[in-house]
Amino acid sequence: MRRHLFLFGLFFLLVFFLSLSHGAVPVDLFHPDELSRRILLEVRLPRVLLAALSGASLSLAGLYFQYVMQNPLADSFTTGASASAALGAVLALLFFGETWVLPSALFLAFLGLVAVLRIASLRGRLLPVTMLLAGIVVNTFASASISLLKFLAQESVASLVFWLMGGFQNATYLRCAGLAAILFGACFYGLYRAPALDLTAFDDETARASGVPLYRLRRELLFLGALLTAVTVSFSGIIGFVGLIVPHLLRLAGFLRAEMLLPLSLLFGASFLVLADLLSRVLLSQGQELPVGVLTSALGGLFFLYLLVKRRRELYELV
Amino acid sequence: MKKSLFWLLLGMLFFWGISAQAARIVVLYPAASSVLRALGVSEKEVVGATRHDSTWPRAVKVGSHLRPNFELIRALRPDLVIVGSRRAFPDQAVRRLGVPVFRYDPRTLSGLLEEILALGRVLHKEDQARDLVSELRERLRRLKPIYPPVTVIYEVSAFPLRVAGSRSIVSDLLRVAGGRNLIRIPKKHVLISPEEVLALSPEVYIYQVGPMNRNPLPPKKRPYFRGLRSRVLRVRELRFARPGLNIFEAAERLNAYFYTLRYHPEALTAPGDSLQ
Repeated sequence: MRRHLFLFGLFFLLVFFLSLSHGAVPVDLFHPDELSRRILLEVRLPRVLLAALSGASLSLAGLYFQYVMQNPLADSFTTGASASAALGAVLALLFFGETWVLPSALFLAFLGLVAVLRIASLRGRLLPVTMLLAGIVVNTFASASISLLKFLAQESVASLVFWLMGGFQNATYLRCAGLAAILFGACFYGLYRAPALDLTAFDDETARASGVPLYRLRRELLFLGALLTAVTVSFSGIIGFVGLIVPHLLRLAGFLRAEMLLPLSLLFGASFLVLADLLSRVLLSQGQELPVGVLTSALGGLFFLYLLVKRRRELYELV
Repeated sequence: MKKSLFWLLLGMLFFWGISAQAARIVVLYPAASSVLRALGVSEKEVVGATRHDSTWPRAVKVGSHLRPNFELIRALRPDLVIVGSRRAFPDQAVRRLGVPVFRYDPRTLSGLLEEILALGRVLHKEDQARDLVSELRERLRRLKPIYPPVTVIYEVSAFPLRVAGSRSIVSDLLRVAGGRNLIRIPKKHVLISPEEVLALSPEVYIYQVGPMNRNPLPPKKRPYFRGLRSRVLRVRELRFARPGLNIFEAAERLNAYFYTLRYHPEALTAPGDSLQ
């Protein structure tokens, strides 16, 4: 276990260093001039930090959603958390300004979560399949509302579309600190509950018989997943696929226990998004940027497809 | 005699047809409205306009410039529809519409003058168009030369950061006003890294406020621009970035601002400037 953690940690540090040393403007990390120092400390470092924290948050949120719904397709998209948070952010951007993005995204993400919980609760139990379907309905409704807002505010549509594609330009140390605190709390909870999380992989009766308070556990995991998603979406727009593929890739690599999956999801998710952000900054010339959400979906999707085709039999069909 | 009468009638019908061509106009590109007004097009002649265009209060609202309602437009039986770029209104849509279309999409100020002359021809208002173009050329001639040109970056939207590229009419506006757009990428708008803006270090960083950049934070209050050393100038998008007659006034005001900055910088005392 320690060896794997060390290797993933080393990979993360390597990617982090690469991301700090490369960008639109060449910067000498060891002998920076005044401009380089400013770029490094005021623009690049907070951005790379936010990318790392967002990757870790989205991966952890995806992992929690998969535990709750017992479905490999569950992530912040299928639960509706991502789209409802984005709807809140778009409303704030159109009507109130950038400062209201976080509260508005949080409010609507939790409104979506309450809707999902109400629909999927039956006599003190949470029905995972109903929850997934309710999440898809919330997602569809929020996406349709965003489309309507884009239609009504046609002149602002380009800005909204680009924002929704995701990016870390607006990173600040304060945002990083806020997200890090939430991530720390969510991760601590997961590690504390690791044995219970493993038991939820069995059927409900077995988990209950082993003393796992399933309903409470699922509600808490849903709350943490939605919180992580909403804060990340409000800071960096919609970044697809991270929450879905990172836990899956780790399972495909043979890491099935929660105590391993949790820290490795954090490290791998962070590395993946830092790398995607680096590519989004350096692929085009003259300081042009690509929206990072486009890259995560393209890269993650292709890699995931490859692994899925290679190892589908042993992992999902025959186990 | 009968034959001559026939040809006379035919000729009258032909000329009536041409003059009727521009009698019912639908404007799908609001920036063209100021030009039409200046050419003497009356409110009665403009039968349809987009919902954001307040120039023609009596005209039927036919949707937006990106999503016009074809049924409404056809029902108005227009003789001429004025549309924007091919991206906003593709050729396929022109064919579907099945009425004469004038494409108004100037990318430079001189291109805009050409468009005015062409519109004058289509609307049979050549004299007014010529007079208007002469007046506008004269206004451009009166702009003060500035050397070296003031280096500028023009922000289109802050969230995410997009700036005007060399294919934007803004780039030509800056050039005419005595400035130089530091972004040489041949696109209208460019999604750019704040690092690049800091490294290019323009003398003036202009940010527009309007539909494309609602409620932006002033640049120096944004975390990534704390190190920006440029003068910051706030302008209104509808006056500075739309290819109508407004852009000539924008050129004059920018020219006066650049001139002061280059030759009398002590006169600019406020930390942030604004041209409304």
